[in-house]
Amino acid sequence: MMRATHWMPALCAVLGMGTAPPGAGGQPAARTILVESPVMTSGDAMPRTYTPDGPNLSPPLTWTNLPDGTREIAVMCSDFGAGNPAPWVHWIIYGIPATADGLPEGLPILPETSMPSELAGAIQGLNGWRRPYYRGPAPPAGTPHIYHFTVYALDQPLGLQPGLDRQDLLMAMDGHILGQGDLVPVYTRF
Amino acid sequence: MTDERPPTISRRALLRGVGAVGAAAAASAAGVSAETAVAPAQAPAAEATQPARTAPGRVVYEQLSAEEADLLEAIADQLIPEDEHGPGAVAAGAVIYIDRALGGALSDSRDAYRGGLAAFERYCRSSRGAPFRDLSHVDQVSALIDVETGAATGARAGFAGSSGAFFGMVRSHVLQGTFGDPYYGGNRDFIGWDLIKYPGVRTAVSPGLQTALEAGELKPNHRSAYDADNFEKAVVSNATKETHHGD
Amino acid sequence: MATRLPGTDVVIVGLGAAGGVAALPLADAGLDIVGIEAGSRLTKRDFAPDEIRNNVRDWPFAVRKCATEVPTTRRTSADTAVQRGGHPMMNGVGGTTLHYWAQSWRLNPWDFNVASETTRRYGASRIPAGSTVEDWPFGYEELEPFYDRVEHEIGVSGQAGNVRGQKNPRGNPFEGPRDRDYPMPALRWTWFLDRMADSARTLGWQPFPGPAAINSEAYQGRSGCMYHGHCNKGGCHVDAKNSPAVTTIPRAEATGRLKVVTHATVTKIETDNQGKVTGVTYLQDREEFFQPARFVFVSTYTYENVRLLLLSTSRAFPIGLSNNHAQVGKHYFSHHQGAGVTALFPYDLHAWYGLPAQGVAVDEFADDNFDHEGLDFIGGGNMWVYSDRRPISAASMGTFGRAPTWGSAWKSFIRENADRTNSAYIQKSTLPYAANYLDLDPTVQDPLGFPVIRITAEYKQNEVAIAAYLQDKMERWYREAGAIEVIRGDLGGQMGVTTHAYGGTRMGDNPETNVVNRYGLSHEVPNLGVLGASVMGTSGARNPTLTAQALAWRTAEHVANNWSSIVE
Repeated sequence: MMRATHWMPALCAVLGMGTAPPGAGGQPAARTILVESPVMTSGDAMPRTYTPDGPNLSPPLTWTNLPDGTREIAVMCSDFGAGNPAPWVHWIIYGIPATADGLPEGLPILPETSMPSELAGAIQGLNGWRRPYYRGPAPPAGTPHIYHFTVYALDQPLGLQPGLDRQDLLMAMDGHILGQGDLVPVYTRF
Repeated sequence: MTDERPPTISRRALLRGVGAVGAAAAASAAGVSAETAVAPAQAPAAEATQPARTAPGRVVYEQLSAEEADLLEAIADQLIPEDEHGPGAVAAGAVIYIDRALGGALSDSRDAYRGGLAAFERYCRSSRGAPFRDLSHVDQVSALIDVETGAATGARAGFAGSSGAFFGMVRSHVLQGTFGDPYYGGNRDFIGWDLIKYPGVRTAVSPGLQTALEAGELKPNHRSAYDADNFEKAVVSNATKETHHGD
Repeated sequence: MATRLPGTDVVIVGLGAAGGVAALPLADAGLDIVGIEAGSRLTKRDFAPDEIRNNVRDWPFAVRKCATEVPTTRRTSADTAVQRGGHPMMNGVGGTTLHYWAQSWRLNPWDFNVASETTRRYGASRIPAGSTVEDWPFGYEELEPFYDRVEHEIGVSGQAGNVRGQKNPRGNPFEGPRDRDYPMPALRWTWFLDRMADSARTLGWQPFPGPAAINSEAYQGRSGCMYHGHCNKGGCHVDAKNSPAVTTIPRAEATGRLKVVTHATVTKIETDNQGKVTGVTYLQDREEFFQPARFVFVSTYTYENVRLLLLSTSRAFPIGLSNNHAQVGKHYFSHHQGAGVTALFPYDLHAWYGLPAQGVAVDEFADDNFDHEGLDFIGGGNMWVYSDRRPISAASMGTFGRAPTWGSAWKSFIRENADRTNSAYIQKSTLPYAANYLDLDPTVQDPLGFPVIRITAEYKQNEVAIAAYLQDKMERWYREAGAIEVIRGDLGGQMGVTTHAYGGTRMGDNPETNVVNRYGLSHEVPNLGVLGASVMGTSGARNPTLTAQALAWRTAEHVANNWSSIVE
């Protein structure tokens, strides 16, 4: 497994990892959610399984430390080093029930396949390719990119329709975010 | 004055079985037996209108190798699959259309197919561990998406340029082969035209026919533009370019 | 060494929309004409209703010289121009009219007087910065008799809106007065076009059928339109599309005065030391000929007109024929027809057997037909909804984000929606600007070694503002008719190679800013005429061909009527 280690301390400092998330101005102090995965950790390389160099499955995620009053959850995977304007969005899911404590590996890419029962009601929104499913990292060869898997805890079910992109979702969540957290792995293509 | 090439049998003619499922589907959709719905053993290029009518179970590929044709059929089957809405691109003969055209109007694309199909297969093996045909349905779809979006470009499979350009080329040719005039070897049994409810080639559409169309009462006209002798024949597949008519 | 052929009175280089029309008044006046055409002669047996051959493969049965000399394009002079895509035009006896859409509009009166009318109504400051627009040297009323003549000579179907000041509510309320009705009624409408017309009326607009050089009924011994659905880039299998190939050219040939030479590429217009044209040099089957002539018309479309003049250098014209004022290639613009609007309807449109000239127009927001006080642009656009659908293009439609573009879900989408979309392109007033021009590309050449044309041009703020304004109107119209999805194209950007290309040899009284005079003859070369939209200084908001043809007829008639004084 490849690891990019020498530059990681500086990167962590820039990202403010382990501290409160940036932004969310004007909202009540958002609480930090702990986002983890059985297959990867922040700062380490993503396994190929979750990229187009492998079968490109959506990675499993778990979360703990949800704020009290969390009624719904949304997840986004973004690359702030790509896209015009940045970020390039790899994945969006919203309408996740607050009872869920994570996402299993390999969520549906076929329109006819439904979500697992514990995620009933969850909808995959449009990524940067305007597609409603996960597509993993495909950065230019030799250039490490970092990927933010961000989990948002929301204060009410938003009742959103399918087909939302990042901008739509951020607008819909505005004022409803109780807390958020990141898992930030890295991927490099050779 | 004609731009039609005399019928010849390709030196590289290759006999191989057509996908039995696709052939059967075509047959059942057309209400005929599978024996009559598949291809001739030695279809002359310029008579590709009925590539599927003589020798049972066989298609003559002139340009594509057996492996290339297999892979291209599998791709075409994902692009326009056979499903509850009827037969798809394979039964329509889209790959036969491409094969014929690679010996004619699309000869400039021959290298793009050769290189692209080989890169596609390498990509499937390196990313999903098996040739495309052996992948599960969802892995086939996933691999095609990565080729379509260009994500497979940097996977060292060796796509010349973007994998998305290869995908775009294949998709547009599969559409041509499924929805174009059957004269060129595709759209067999008018599968493509029936799918989108195109009421067919007509040389005259009276107000009455238009009214019937608008009332949903117009029966599709299953014929090629070249079935009657109104028009100079187009070239399907040849070694020489079309030449001009002239005075 | 070129073979010197017997002399003739007139050479016409290019027998397309303009040259093919000009031949008739010249022949009728008793002049001997050699018409030199790069393409071949095609007949209705070549015009199969075959989308693969016509639309996908781009007429492989025809000689297409233009495909070997595709202009390069760039946005500004700071960029490097490159060739992108093919050439939309056609070589052949009849030129692009063999497969054009055949919309045959007259310009509206305002289009002839954009500069003075804008100044009068809104003030000179409203003329966009950097634009080189001038009034035409004459008004609509000067061209009216020639519009009328061409409409009847080739055959145009349509619904008049203004006959000698008598308005007809079924026609265009904004058109200039015409002397008489069209020679044929308008092409029929479909259920969907009726519905769009009703929706326009609900919005308070006055919809009307567009004019077309297509027989709506038998005319001059040729059939009426068969509506078979392959008119877009297809030739007509019953000769109902009124190309000069089936109208003015055979009539001119029948006089015995017009000799047509095909498969011939003119490489140079020759001049003597006095600066008069002596004839043309052409290649046919790699053999070189010199065709002497007392008068030469170039009618090879905007790009080739400019190229041929720039390539025809001589002692008298060191930087190109008729270019001693350095105006050849200037005042170029291509009609802003992009920024289209596409709609999805919840019902079938039954458009399979339509043709693009069969449609419903709304002119309320074209030209100066509405008050521009408080707006940030001048001019406007004509909205045009038409019937046009073929199977491959239908199956290639976008999915409005409602489905993927392949697979089972796509198949299900296309099965339901292949006949449920409609796209409107909106033709918008487009102006010439000093920064938009044609010249010879410094590096890219055709197979003969001659440089191709380089287009340096982009749509400016005025065109982009019109596009945004008209997209709003178009979306309203589609929504009124029940559209459930509406998508808008990009507002503007670089000008590409187009079938609506204007300028480069602009017509005007001032030789400092124009290449040809008010009759279409060179300011600098007494026996050289230029035909086609390259002489037009404004676009209007509608197709150029009929105007180019009316101008060609007028120029040819002027030459015939003043023959001795022009050639002596």
